[in-house]
Amino acid sequence: MTEAREALLKRLDNEARKLRRNVWRALRAGGGGHAGGSASAADVLAALYFHRMRLRPSEPEWPDRDRFVLSKGHANAALGAVLVQAGFVDDSLLDRFYHFESPFGMHPDIKLPGVEMCTGALGHGLAIAMGMALGARIQNKDFHTFVMLGDAELHEGSNWEAAMAAGHYRLNSLTAIIDHNKIGQSGRIDELIRLDPLGDKWRSFGWEVREIDGHNMADIVDTFDAVPLHEDRPTAVIAHTVKGKGVSFAEDTYLWHSNSVDDEIHAKALSELGDA
Amino acid sequence: MNTETSTQTNWRAKSASQTRLAFGQALLEIGERETRSVVLSADTQDLLGIRPWIAKYPERFIEIGIAEQNAIGVASGLATTGLQPYVCAYAPFITARSMEQIRNDVAYANQRVVIGAAASGISLGVAGGTHHALEDLALMRSLPNMTVIVPADVNEAYYATLATLDIDGPVYMRLGGRTPEPPVTEDEASFTFGRAARLRPGDDVTVIACGALVEPAIRASDTLRAEDIDVRVLNMHTIKPLDRDAILHAAAETSGIVTAEEHRCTGGLGGAVAELLAVTHPTPMRMVAMPDEFAVVGPTGPLREKYGMSAEAIVTACRELLA
Repeated sequence: MTEAREALLKRLDNEARKLRRNVWRALRAGGGGHAGGSASAADVLAALYFHRMRLRPSEPEWPDRDRFVLSKGHANAALGAVLVQAGFVDDSLLDRFYHFESPFGMHPDIKLPGVEMCTGALGHGLAIAMGMALGARIQNKDFHTFVMLGDAELHEGSNWEAAMAAGHYRLNSLTAIIDHNKIGQSGRIDELIRLDPLGDKWRSFGWEVREIDGHNMADIVDTFDAVPLHEDRPTAVIAHTVKGKGVSFAEDTYLWHSNSVDDEIHAKALSELGDA
Repeated sequence: MNTETSTQTNWRAKSASQTRLAFGQALLEIGERETRSVVLSADTQDLLGIRPWIAKYPERFIEIGIAEQNAIGVASGLATTGLQPYVCAYAPFITARSMEQIRNDVAYANQRVVIGAAASGISLGVAGGTHHALEDLALMRSLPNMTVIVPADVNEAYYATLATLDIDGPVYMRLGGRTPEPPVTEDEASFTFGRAARLRPGDDVTVIACGALVEPAIRASDTLRAEDIDVRVLNMHTIKPLDRDAILHAAAETSGIVTAEEHRCTGGLGGAVAELLAVTHPTPMRMVAMPDEFAVVGPTGPLREKYGMSAEAIVTACRELLA
């Protein structure tokens, strides 16, 4: 591994750790929230915002920016945290999670600089991202559109309408990342409605699929560096992740899909995450 | 955006036979004037007459297939990139099925998406209740940021569609089906967004109608005029934002108000007028609309008669208010 690459991975791992700390900080400010799905997404978000995506935080409406849509909008604590760390919004935002009239509620609000769409009603983001990618194509722009989907979100049929159409249009400027933490609000997804064979589903809709360890920064960076994975197909990255990653009591349990967070829990979480 | 020629056009009402096709024709003019315009189809290329658009602007056309939720989501995404999407769809499906996408992705996010919704009301009469759109106005009217327009004839549909160029937000344009839509407006531009058109003067009673019930309202007015009853007829083509002034004047100047629409009696034009008057100027009203039930199968004309959405029903309602 070259020194530069080692430094890159270290920097991104640091941003991801900071992101998780900021998630818990926001959750404490809000009295709770979606710790599990925010923590599982943190490494991928860090790689997107601090390495892969072309962004101008001081000019959030820059027409040529890469787009990111958080379709699994309940992970908004992680989106707010990454926007703070990237410099789109002031750090104090994290202390206003769920607060009265805050632009930082449970789900993304387009009024917050850096947020591309109001999401969180599940099954909407892929169609919207597809529209953004088509918008780039029609206007001869070269920005890339990323959309992060929850795995349980894939139960929504509207995703498959969009997956079929994006495959049909060979939208190679569209990348869907499935945060595959295997757990939904009520339990393990296998026991709700089975998704497997998940990769084959996407492939059969005309997507180029890669499955990665969503907490291995080298794996994530290699994949995003290679996107689009096929010149004639949209890309689906199935990121195998752990719900609640980084905090032992929140890991791999539906109980931390969403839960209350007080000062004590916050302190315990931060002590496990370590300094950023 | 280039809109300096907004009332200058060679278009004539007679060149389109139905409002749904006038929408498609107006799109061609929009395509010339606004290079950011994009048309989406939900397998509705003939329904809204957009094949000429597809031939002329293939790079600005997107076929979505029979996937209305996706059509709205994609349109919202396109709009965020600065494009101006026009979604061509069936009224019953694009509203009820895609309601969440319209509410969140379009209205809540306030994206400039125009929905051309053909085959509204009971225009698909023989198709049965699954294919009737008798609650679409109630659904669309309940959304903040949404503009709701119901053209009454092909001329109005054409100019109302052009008027969307100047509306900076989501629009629901309610269009008809294959039933003939008799002309009720002038051949040249007569559509003023948000302003009801007074088609008949009168100070005894007012009929406020939209869409397919405007022409019966005119006939009702003419019938009653023969009895020396002067019925004011307002064509309320813009349901949202509502022309409050025209309604409040009618309430103050005439003995009562009859609303007339091809929509269920709950939440449509009648509801909109009643909501305004109940709190500002309580006024005797009658509502000519589809009763609170699903329509049987049948041709549109007989269905309108059966359910009392007709000139005769409007005449009766006017007489009741004057009794």
